Amino acid sequence: MRNELELDAIIEDFLNGKLTQEERKAFEQLRANDPAVDHKVVTHQFFLDSMKKYGDTLSLKDKMNAIHATIDVESLSDKLKPHPSYIVNLWRNNRSAFAVAASFLLLAMVSIYSIQHNTKQNGSYEVMSRELVKIKNSQNNLIRNINNSKLEKVPVNPAKFGGTGFALTSNGYLCTNLHVINGADSVHVQNANGESFKAKVVYQDPQYDLAILKIVDKNFVELSSLPYKINKGNIGMGEDVFTLGFPKDDAVLGEGYVSSKTGHAGDTTAYQVSIPVNPGNSGGPLLDNRGNVIGVINAKEYQVDGAAFAVKSKYILEALNAIPQDSLGKKVVLKKSPLVGLNRTKQLDMIQDYVFMIKVYN
Amino acid sequence: MSNKLSSSLPTDREVVLGILNNSDDALNKLYVGYFPMILQFILSNNGDEDDAKDVYQEAIIVLYNKIKSGDFELSSKLKTYIYSVCRRIWLKKLSKESKKAINVADFEDIEAVDTDMEALEEKDQQFEKMKSSLDLLGEPCKTIIQDFYINNLSMQEISEKFGYTNTDNAKTQKYKCLQRLKKLFFQA
Repeated sequence: MRNELELDAIIEDFLNGKLTQEERKAFEQLRANDPAVDHKVVTHQFFLDSMKKYGDTLSLKDKMNAIHATIDVESLSDKLKPHPSYIVNLWRNNRSAFAVAASFLLLAMVSIYSIQHNTKQNGSYEVMSRELVKIKNSQNNLIRNINNSKLEKVPVNPAKFGGTGFALTSNGYLCTNLHVINGADSVHVQNANGESFKAKVVYQDPQYDLAILKIVDKNFVELSSLPYKINKGNIGMGEDVFTLGFPKDDAVLGEGYVSSKTGHAGDTTAYQVSIPVNPGNSGGPLLDNRGNVIGVINAKEYQVDGAAFAVKSKYILEALNAIPQDSLGKKVVLKKSPLVGLNRTKQLDMIQDYVFMIKVYN
Repeated sequence: MSNKLSSSLPTDREVVLGILNNSDDALNKLYVGYFPMILQFILSNNGDEDDAKDVYQEAIIVLYNKIKSGDFELSSKLKTYIYSVCRRIWLKKLSKESKKAINVADFEDIEAVDTDMEALEEKDQQFEKMKSSLDLLGEPCKTIIQDFYINNLSMQEISEKFGYTNTDNAKTQKYKCLQRLKKLFFQA
């Protein structure tokens, strides 16, 4: 028994590495010679390992229990336990699926929205006649009128709407849009020098939004022959074009290009033109670089930039056919427009006498 | 997904290094950080708070042993690992009770942890064996053995604590206790 105890102590010291060099050698000798001792060493080693692991686990459990005691489990479980409601549970369990579905839906909506609003130009349509700013009938003006009776007769009513028109013949036939003069009591046109002439509507074409006016003012002097001609055919995409119009009280140049052979929502009677236009440009001539009138500006896409529309010029010719030929005056067939080869400034100098501001009173 | 875990989640690296260095602080952060996730899982799958505690602590022990053994390679997030281990433990407990396949409602991604589970069971058995052996050993043997082998007290301290007249008596007593314990442990 005593020996057993000693042996056990030695084995333990051996396993813990507490033996001296000589003792260790002697013990290993003993172990090699005596299988019983060797077996004891192995089992004791296994036992010690188990004991150590047991101890480690025990202390880990103690530590965890201490930590666990600091957690407010009750309130946590209140927060986390399954909600009695089925819907809340469904939400909690499938939150990621819902998130994916929601973002997909959102994406789809955004794409549809952007396709509708950007890709396809089918927004609403905005005609370009101008509501003239109401000029205040100030007391001063009236007094001056009374005092200064020599002053030219001016229309008492200020114009309500305005647009642009251009000469079709030198004897005072003008072309404009129907929507410019629609419902007018009287129409006056004003040339680049500020002279105002009375005009009457001689032809209306609601199908193509065109109207033909005739200046009936005795003060009107016939124009010299037109510097441009009306284009009969179609024109290609990308053609450089310009227009002169009256979005304000002075003529304004707009330059751009034909961006589509069809107009609003595929309307084949009009071009789409990338050109800056504003209310007041309606009825203005759309000319190419060679001085051909290729269309009449009549509208632009609502809320879309750079998409204006112009009625094709062949419909102007159709409208002209409705007017007795002899009343159109002498017809000068231009072989070649005098505008060809001129720079834009010169071209505009020549054209501006033939472009009128239309003032509508009603 | 689970409700928001407490904001002080330690990083995975922090936890692994902390466990290797026996840091109590790391254990604390780990324990507090991931407990709500497991609590939610257990509560949603027919368990109560105590089940959650047991399962969670077992999983932490698995994690500890794995990290300590040195072959710990985190193939996924620590969170996923802990969740997967807990899920396996809980499934096992559920199937023991009802003896049929059970579906659990999941809150997190899971990964395969089979080999770790086998190791756990082995460890678990050893632990239980040692525990029952010690319980069978009775006092004062149990305390003497635990003091010497686990709390690392010297024979001197033990003989003073138990009032032995000299350390030789204590040694003899310890020897007897140890022999009985070994017998119990290896027989069981």
